[in-house]
Amino acid sequence: MKLKQSFLIASTLLFLALITWEIYWRSQGYYPTIDDNKALWAVQRSKVEFLTSEDVILTGSSRVHFDIQLDVFEDITGKRPLQLAVPGSSPLPIFHDIVNNTEFNGTIIVGVTPPLFFSTTYPKAEPWHRAQSKVEHYHDRTFAERLNHQLSLPLQSNLVMMSGHEENSDENIDLKGLLRNIKFKKRTPGPAYPPFFEFGDVSIDRNVRMSEQCATDTVFANKIKNAWKFILTSEGPPPDKNSTTNYFAKDAKKFTERGGNLILVRCPSSGMFYGGEKQFFSRETFFDSLVNVTQARAYHYEDYEQLKSIDCCPEWSHLSAENADIFTKELVNVMLEDGAITNYKTK
Amino acid sequence: MLFNSLSFVVFLVIVLALYYSKLFNWTNKKRMLLLASYLFYAMWNPPLILLLWISTVVDWSAGKRLAIEENQRKRKLWLLLSMSINLGFLAFFKYGDFLLENFVTIVNSIGFEFEANPMGILLPMGISFYTFQTMSYTIDMYKKKTERAKTFLDFALYVTFFPQLVAGPIVRAKELITQFYEPKKATSNQFLWGLFLLTLGLFQKVVMADSLLAETSDTVFDSTQLIHGIDAWVGTLAFSGQIFFDFAGYSTCAIGIALMLGFVLPDNFRYPYASLGFSDLWKRWHITLSSWLKDYLYIPLGGNRHGITKMYVALMVTMLLGGLWHGAAWTFVVWGGLHGTYLILERLQRKYLPFKITKWNGIFLAFITFSCVNITWTFFRAPDFPKAWNMIKSMFYMQSDGINVIETFDIIKVCTVVGILFLCHWFMRNTSVKEVAQKSSPVFLGIVWAIMIFALCIAQGSGEQFIYFQF
Repeated sequence: MKLKQSFLIASTLLFLALITWEIYWRSQGYYPTIDDNKALWAVQRSKVEFLTSEDVILTGSSRVHFDIQLDVFEDITGKRPLQLAVPGSSPLPIFHDIVNNTEFNGTIIVGVTPPLFFSTTYPKAEPWHRAQSKVEHYHDRTFAERLNHQLSLPLQSNLVMMSGHEENSDENIDLKGLLRNIKFKKRTPGPAYPPFFEFGDVSIDRNVRMSEQCATDTVFANKIKNAWKFILTSEGPPPDKNSTTNYFAKDAKKFTERGGNLILVRCPSSGMFYGGEKQFFSRETFFDSLVNVTQARAYHYEDYEQLKSIDCCPEWSHLSAENADIFTKELVNVMLEDGAITNYKTK
Repeated sequence: MLFNSLSFVVFLVIVLALYYSKLFNWTNKKRMLLLASYLFYAMWNPPLILLLWISTVVDWSAGKRLAIEENQRKRKLWLLLSMSINLGFLAFFKYGDFLLENFVTIVNSIGFEFEANPMGILLPMGISFYTFQTMSYTIDMYKKKTERAKTFLDFALYVTFFPQLVAGPIVRAKELITQFYEPKKATSNQFLWGLFLLTLGLFQKVVMADSLLAETSDTVFDSTQLIHGIDAWVGTLAFSGQIFFDFAGYSTCAIGIALMLGFVLPDNFRYPYASLGFSDLWKRWHITLSSWLKDYLYIPLGGNRHGITKMYVALMVTMLLGGLWHGAAWTFVVWGGLHGTYLILERLQRKYLPFKITKWNGIFLAFITFSCVNITWTFFRAPDFPKAWNMIKSMFYMQSDGINVIETFDIIKVCTVVGILFLCHWFMRNTSVKEVAQKSSPVFLGIVWAIMIFALCIAQGSGEQFIYFQF
């Protein structure tokens, strides 16, 4: 066997094929991004063990993730919050983990997106499972998995072909993603899911900013809206207000009793999301009731003209990067005025 | 550490660089390999290295005594010590919860109210493999079939050698320890062939098993409803392909990595889906486990030396325990039992309905064997009996009112991949990858190699664990 010759041919062909592949996807508008996967989340979660009572943790669903910008928060207060929000999930499992598995007694800002917050406490339900799986990965991850993640970051940051997403996204260009996009006659029951695309860019410390395309390209934003429309009009289990409120209240009590500062935040929504939330998750019945039970400080965007007036939202649920900066600035200023958080720049 | 991970790429490059550097003499190279093997294991769960150490020290001590001890009673005691430690580890870590669960069921069934919480014991990765490997050493020492390892270092490296530590091949002492005695260095052709095998193994695992088949198999077997007959067959075929590519992929990687270091490991798979009957299947599927079970279980149970009935009993016991080796659940026992039944039926057919296998009926016979194997996979993969039974019902009653859980493209994809797999096995059954590669032009081999690595790169893979790690 002339293996040296075969090896040289293979190396040359592989080099050419990979370059062509990378150039092709870049020409299609793709650019390298970091995947907001469980390993990235676990790195942030591991930092909780080293936080002091002066630090701030953000948790919740995608609205807190998109709408509160870490750079702006840090610029104003001198403290960079830790971003632990998980899109499409209930914040309850993560809050429970921090309260029960750490000694953290600083500030936790919990984003309340009513359809997710009050969804369920059933472990196998998607909003719960999505967050809980991240918590479990943090506790169970091996040294090899930690190293794999660190080694993958430079590849994800620099190569389009290496920046696939853990969640099934229609823009995934890994082999599985490409095969998933081949559609023949549908034979499974139920309507077909509309295509869903990532619309935020994540940084290494999980700060997310809405992509320029989503903020400016209405055709793209409409694709996301279609996906939301599908979710909002699909039949699903009814909200479980009592279980979720009680579950959260128990952890909230434990957290505040040890000196923790709990803040609830309701970020803006618009269009069909706003309508649906107003109709099925009225503020009085859900958000206000939660605030009442937990006795936590709470900020509802509709209570503040400077927050309410921000243009929301290109795809009904999240702020553009530019507006997220404004929202964060205004929200942080309101909180500082209230004494809900401390400005360590001026202290 | 998984072969299909970035950390392993870095690990392997460092190990190879140190191994082929002139920094160390042969003894120090072996020490480096041993330390690297412990690191390889510790990257998963450091405290569980203790089990490896205990197993190593106990079997080394037992082997040492067995080499000099002439008193038969004492020899037996040393053998028992080794077996009880190794089987004790297996019983506690792998079968602890299973035994407890069955104990509770029995106690409750005879009228005593008793409840016990599962112990929730973590299964040490690869424990079934390395305990069987070390036990083979002490049993062979007891039977005076192998020489004692020359040094503790050689023995420890035999137990822990990272390419085959967690999922085999299960190597006999005389096959591997003796290779550690003399300095080993792969020739450039061996090294490149090892690299080719590593690529092929990763391609099988990451591209074929994980990217093309796993999702369909998971969708079907995770479904809680009665599913359509087509979905049940396609899901089973997908698992059939997945488990072959996953496990054969690991073995191919292990053989390739060892070869890059200059060591030769035995074959573990020889195109099993083209087997002509079940005796043939077990000479082609997980060969090193089959031969272990034959030598250390079937033959000690009497084998074929005490008449037909006792042979069938020995065969069935071996297959039932072989099933249980794969997992602590009754579904695995049924899987083993079905294979035992197939083997007995095959022997009866050979006795009472013999026929000649020709090239014309061969592929038909291979297809029948492959189909029967698929039926057993439903018990192997299903999480419990109700699911397995639902699958069987769907497969044989061809439930047309069962729900569809997979899409048209999944059916095409799985049937194409598994169809090609079956035909490849049929055409390759009397040859090997190496023979085919030797007959191919370097350009063709280079193109195939490039395609495999390219597919690996675009498949990316999220580091799915190999199925056999859990065994």
